[in-house]
Amino acid sequence: MKLKLFGTTVILLVAFLPRFECRAIESPGGALRLPAPQLQNSGPILERLGEEYFIRLGNGDSNSLPSSSLYPGASPAIYSRALQQLQLTRRLLQGKVGNIRALLSGFGDHGEESMERGRRSEDPPISLDLTFHLLREMMEMSKAEQLVQQAQNNRRMMELFGK
Amino acid sequence: MSLSARTQLLLFLISLLSIVGRSRFIEEDDDSDGLYSLLNMDQKRQSADFIFRRPLRCLDMLATDGYFTFVASQPQLACAAFVIAEPDEVISLELQDVSIDCTAGDFIKIFDGWVLKGEKFPSRQDHPLPLHQRYTDYCSSEGAGATSRSSQNVAMVFFRVHGPGSGFTLAVKKLHNPFPCNIMSQSPEGSFTMVIPHQRRNCSFSIIYPVEIRLTALSLGQAKSNDIGLQRQVWSDCSGSGDYVELLGGDGVDTSQMFPVADLCFSLSGLAQMKIGCDNSVVRLVSAATTSTACPFSTDCWSSTSSPGAERTVCLTSAL
Repeated sequence: MKLKLFGTTVILLVAFLPRFECRAIESPGGALRLPAPQLQNSGPILERLGEEYFIRLGNGDSNSLPSSSLYPGASPAIYSRALQQLQLTRRLLQGKVGNIRALLSGFGDHGEESMERGRRSEDPPISLDLTFHLLREMMEMSKAEQLVQQAQNNRRMMELFGK
Repeated sequence: MSLSARTQLLLFLISLLSIVGRSRFIEEDDDSDGLYSLLNMDQKRQSADFIFRRPLRCLDMLATDGYFTFVASQPQLACAAFVIAEPDEVISLELQDVSIDCTAGDFIKIFDGWVLKGEKFPSRQDHPLPLHQRYTDYCSSEGAGATSRSSQNVAMVFFRVHGPGSGFTLAVKKLHNPFPCNIMSQSPEGSFTMVIPHQRRNCSFSIIYPVEIRLTALSLGQAKSNDIGLQRQVWSDCSGSGDYVELLGGDGVDTSQMFPVADLCFSLSGLAQMKIGCDNSVVRLVSAATTSTACPFSTDCWSSTSSPGAERTVCLTSAL
């Protein structure tokens, strides 16, 4: 009796054992990535941002701001301050330290001199300041290069199979 | 052996069989070279010139497999290489022959995604990894930091070298991704079907052009049930109902900073069409993992001058 009970229990356990979750995509040899150094706590970054905030206050802004007529019904003094803060926040969010001039003369080696990258600390974030127009040009060039390479590969493959 | 013992043994063996053979793994042989496997040794040796090699520029975009070598002739302090693949591919990057001086401030960082003007694609909400894990720094992890595999069809490499003659070689290899999520399109024209199979995740298809998007035969999981017609519900907020499709427009690459142009909460058997006059147009599929969600769509170039009489969608940028 006990043996039967034991046997039945074993069978039920084996039948209903929890199975490993099957995943559709498995990458056993996947990214060998070590985590980057931890980001600094928000305190020092905010202080640094604050310094930049004040440094930038005197600089002219090349981007145009909307007029305060968009926000009717409040005092102009508040609006000028709010607009200034929005302007500075926007520039800070764009991640710039210095000139923001994307490649005006077009793609190529000229870009290296005029390009500027905003970088706040040794840790991420790092950012690149490119216009969409330039990014599109680069994508089209890379696509053209890919097509040329594919055509060459096809030609070589045909030659190889022909031998 | 008694009958009951035999019965129990048989039941035991049958239950063992139930464990075997229910796998949903997609086995992919990474070493399969397609047509290359048909070549013999001599031919394989001759095919070595199939491997694409060229110099890497300070600002570059790579769309092919191959080896790209950067050698600095002068200090290069702000360089980046964008890598883009087909929508159903992911990118494997490997650094080889690296000769930089990490102590002098040189670095090479690989990022899982694209960063443009401080905005990241995919956004923090859409990417499976936290932000600091998306960066791979060669200098802080010399051995393991030399390789990286992206989670989507875009990746980028930031690098800075001070000394002339410093450099490295970047090996780019593209791997097949059966369930692509978060795609950056290389072309404004084309069609694609985005599928989210039983997962709670949001996927976006980004086109950095103003385009006309046509959604066909949308299949969503567990939409809100009410008797208001599809036409009227198209423009209302879908955030309460299970799975839905968002069309976004904006002037950056971060989808969380973009403006929703339209939401679609209901499965669609006809055609929904939208023109987005923004620098970046995104189709975003939000899935609550109730069922599989599929969204086929096609895109076409659209410029505001091509249809002067038609209704134009004005792009709301982040300018306040």
